[in-house]
Amino acid sequence: MMESVFWLAFAFGFHIVLVNVAITLGILAPYLRWRSLKENDKALEKVAREVTRLLAATYGLGGVFATAFTVFLLSFYPEFIGLAGNIALAPFAISILSIVLNFFTIVAFYYGWDKWSPRAHLTIGFFMALTFLLIPLGFRAVFAFLNTPQGLYFEDGVPRLDLIKALANPTLPPLYLKSIVGALTAGTFALAAGYAYRYTRTNDEEVKRVSLVFVQKTVPYVLLGLVTMVFLGLWYAFSLQNVEYKFNNIFANLGWSVGNGVVHYDMSWLFMFKMILVAIQFAAIIVAYNAIRRGNLTSGVTKWMIAGGIVALFTILVGEYLNAFSQYPYFIANLNDPKVLAIIPKNLVPALAQILSLENVNQLATLRGVAMLTAGFMTFLVISAVYYLYIVLKPRTN
Amino acid sequence: MVTSVISQWLSYPVASDRVLSMIGIEVHWAILQYVLGLPFMAFIALIIYAVKKDETWKKIALTLTKGFILVFAVGAATGTGAEFGLVLLWPNLTEAAGRYIYFPLYAEVFAFLMEVIFIYMLYYGWNRFKPWVLVIIALLAFSGSWFSAAMIVSVNSYMVAPTGIHPAYDPSTGQWLYSQGYPKLDLYLPKSLVPLLNVTTLTKLGMTVSGVTPDSVKVEMPVRIIQRLAWESWHGVKVKDSILMLVVNKTTVSHMSKEQLNQLLNTPVKAIVDKILVNTVQHEGVYTITFKSPVYAATIIHAIGAGLTTSSFTVMGVYAFRLARGVESEEYKKYAKKFLKYSAYFAVIIIALQGFVFGHEMGRAVAYYNPEKLSAMEGVTTQHFSITRTFHLDSLMKFLAYGSTSAHMPNYDTITPNYCQCKAAPNPDIKTCKPPILIHYLYYTKITLAVLLGVYALGISYYVWRDKKSKWLFKLGIAGIVVVQVVSYLGWAVREIGRKPWTIYGVMTPDVAHTFNPAPVWEVALVALYFLGMLGILAYAVWRIMWVPGSKEMMAK
Repeated sequence: MMESVFWLAFAFGFHIVLVNVAITLGILAPYLRWRSLKENDKALEKVAREVTRLLAATYGLGGVFATAFTVFLLSFYPEFIGLAGNIALAPFAISILSIVLNFFTIVAFYYGWDKWSPRAHLTIGFFMALTFLLIPLGFRAVFAFLNTPQGLYFEDGVPRLDLIKALANPTLPPLYLKSIVGALTAGTFALAAGYAYRYTRTNDEEVKRVSLVFVQKTVPYVLLGLVTMVFLGLWYAFSLQNVEYKFNNIFANLGWSVGNGVVHYDMSWLFMFKMILVAIQFAAIIVAYNAIRRGNLTSGVTKWMIAGGIVALFTILVGEYLNAFSQYPYFIANLNDPKVLAIIPKNLVPALAQILSLENVNQLATLRGVAMLTAGFMTFLVISAVYYLYIVLKPRTN
Repeated sequence: MVTSVISQWLSYPVASDRVLSMIGIEVHWAILQYVLGLPFMAFIALIIYAVKKDETWKKIALTLTKGFILVFAVGAATGTGAEFGLVLLWPNLTEAAGRYIYFPLYAEVFAFLMEVIFIYMLYYGWNRFKPWVLVIIALLAFSGSWFSAAMIVSVNSYMVAPTGIHPAYDPSTGQWLYSQGYPKLDLYLPKSLVPLLNVTTLTKLGMTVSGVTPDSVKVEMPVRIIQRLAWESWHGVKVKDSILMLVVNKTTVSHMSKEQLNQLLNTPVKAIVDKILVNTVQHEGVYTITFKSPVYAATIIHAIGAGLTTSSFTVMGVYAFRLARGVESEEYKKYAKKFLKYSAYFAVIIIALQGFVFGHEMGRAVAYYNPEKLSAMEGVTTQHFSITRTFHLDSLMKFLAYGSTSAHMPNYDTITPNYCQCKAAPNPDIKTCKPPILIHYLYYTKITLAVLLGVYALGISYYVWRDKKSKWLFKLGIAGIVVVQVVSYLGWAVREIGRKPWTIYGVMTPDVAHTFNPAPVWEVALVALYFLGMLGILAYAVWRIMWVPGSKEMMAK
C-alpha cells in the first residue's frame, strides 16, 4: 500500500471508531439526564454523568485524528484539497459550524453539570445531541459526492456546485442513515458490554443494579439496530448501482454486477469479512439477549457481550475501509462514467484525472525522513493515547 | 479621516472574506492563548507544590488546569473552524501551503495529539499521580501547545517574510529600491529550464543571478514577476498567453520541432512554476524552509509571550476582582491572595519581557524585512495624521528600529504605489501596493494599552507585596482581561492587515488565494456573527462554571 494511503487510513480509522462512540455517548447522555430528572433517579443520573465524562475525555482524541487526516490529505494531495475547498463550501460549512457548536455544548454540558438549571442543562444537551446528528450530514454529503459528483457543473471552466442537487444525491440518504444507525448500534453495544463487564466485577450492589438495568434496557435497541442496518446496507448497495466502478469492485466477484461487470480493485473479500463480523454480532446479541432480559448476566454472557461490542466497533472500521478502498485509486468513484465525463470541459479532463487520483502524491511529502518521523511520533502518541484511555476507563479508587 | 482610512483597508481584494477570516482566527486566538499560558503557569505551580508540599499550590495548579481544560476543548473546535475556513475561503493558498510548505502543518498534528493526550491526562489523572509525575505531565502538556504554536507560527512567518526575501529599502540612505527590481525573492531555477529563458531580458527586468549549484541557477527574482506568475498559475493560463512569452529564449525555441513548440506553448504556467518552487523548496530545505523565515524567531517568542501575558493578566484580573468583592472564608482568602500574588508577579515579568525584549525583536524584524509595513505602522507620512510626528517620536523610533538615530525611517508617501504589479500585465484587483495606513492607529492603540497594562500590573504587584488592598484598583482587574485581549488582538491585526496587498508577501495576493466560488456577503456576515456569538457564550459559560457556585457547592454551604 502507498505510504500516503496508509497514513490516511490509519488516522481515519482511529477517528471513525472514536467518533462513532462519541455519537452514541453524545445522544445517550442528554437522554439519560432527561430520564433521571423525569424519574428523579439518582442512579440514572450517575450513569448519565459517567457517560458524559467518557464523552468529554475521548471526543478530543477523535477530533485530533480528524485533524491528522485532514493534514495528511493536505500534505499528500494538496491539489485535491484546493479543488475540494473551491467547490465544497456549503456541505463542509454544515459540518464545521456544527462542530464548533458541538464542542461548546460538550464543555458546557459536562463541566457545567451542577452549574445550570435542569432546563438549561437539558437544552444544552439537546443541542449537543443535535450537532452529533448534523456533523455527519455535511461530511456524508461530501462522501456521497465522492461516490458520484451530482450537482457539479462548470461555468467558464470554473467548477461549481449546485447544493440542492448535491443534497439530492441518491447515495446520501442511505449512507447518512447507515452512519447514524451504525454508530448508535455499535456504540451502544460497546457501552452495554462495558456495563456488563462492570456488573461482573463490582461488589457494590447499587452499581450492580444500575449496570444490569442499563444492559437490560439497551440490548433490545442493539438488536433492533443490527436488523435495521441490514436493510440500510441493502439500500446503500442498491444506490451504488449507479456507481459502476465501486459497485463491481465490491459485488461483481460475488455474482452481482452492473454494466460491464469488470472488477478493477477487488474488495469482495473485505465485504465478506464484514458480513462475518456482522454475523458474530448477531450471534453475540442473540446468545446474550434472553439471559440478560431474565437478569441472568453471567460471566459467560458477559464474554459474548464484550466480544460483540468489540466486533461492533471493528465492523464500523471495516465498513468505512470497504467504502473507501472500493473506489481506489479515485477520489471520485465514477469519474470515468461517460455521464460524468460529459459535464467536464474536455480540456480540463486530463488535469482533473490527475488531481483526483490517489496515486498522484506530493513528492515533497513522501521523503524517507517524513515517513520515519511519522512512524516514530505515531507510535509514541498511540501508546500514550492507549495509556490515557486506560486512566480514563480504570475505576477510581478514591 | 476614519472613513477614508477604513475604506482604504476595504479596497484590497475580497474584503468580506478577509473580515470573516479575521474574526474566525481571532476567536481561535483569543481562546488558544490560554492553552499557551495556563499549562505553563500550572507547571510552575506544580513545581512549587512538589518542592514545598504546600497544598495551596496544588489547588492553584488544579484551578489553572480546570481553566485550560475548559478552553482547550473550545480552542480545538475553533481551530477546526479556522482550519476549514482556510480551506474553504482560501483554497488556493491552502493548496500552495500543502504543496510547498506542508511540513510544519504536518508536524503540528503530532503537537496537537501531544496536547490532547497530556492536557487531558493531567486533568483526569490528577489524583492518580505523584507530584513530580504531575510536573512531568504538565511539562509535556505545555510543550505540546508550544510545539504546536512553533509549527503554525512558522507558516505564518513565511507568509509575512518568505525565506530568501530581499526587501526594497535601505535604511542607511532612506531610499526605496523599487527601481532596482526589489523586493526580490530567492528562487532556484532548474538547469533544465534555464535554456528556455532569456537571461538578458530577465536581468533588465531586475532579476539577479546570485549563484549556481550542480542542478540549478540561484536567482533573486523581482516579486512583481512572481506575483504575476502566481496569478497565472491559479487562473489556468498557458505559456502561450503568459508573461513568460516575454522572456522566452528565442534561439532555443527556434531549434524546437513544431510538436515540441506546441507542447511548450500549451503547458500550463502552473506546471513550470511548480517545477521552480519544488526545486527551490528542496534547496532551501523541505523541513526547514518556513523556520528560516527571517521574522520567525521574533514571531514565536512574541506569540508565546502573548499567550503567557494574556493568561497571567486574566488570572490576576479574576482574583483581584474576587478579593475586591470580599471573601468570607479565611482559607479561601489565603488561597486567593497567594494566587493573586503569583499571577501579578508573573504578569509584571512577562509584560516587561514582551515589551522590552520580544516585542522589540519583532519590531526590528519588521523594520528590516517588511519596510512598507513599518512605514505604515509608524505613520511616516504627511498625508495622514501621524501620532509619531505629532509627539516627535521619530528619532526614538529610528533608534528602536535600526539601532541608530542617523538611520532613516521608510517613508510611506514615497512607496511606489504599483511596485507589486507586473507592468506588462497588471493585476486589476490590486488598486495599490501600499499597506493600509489603518495599522498606524491600531499599532499605537496597542502600544498605549500595553503600557497601561504594565503600569496596572505593577500597581497590583505593589499592593500584594505590601499585603494591602485597593478596592477600585482590584476591581479594574476585569477590565484588564478585556484590555489584554484587545492588545493581543491588535498585535495580530497590525501583522495581518499590514501585510496587504499580499497574502504571502512577495508571492500571492488575496484575490489569487481566494476561492473561485465565494459565498454571498450576507452568508459571510451570518457566519461571523455565529463565531462572535460562540465567543460570547464561551465567556459566559466559563464564568458560570468557574465562578458561580453550583447546586453542589450551595448544598455544601
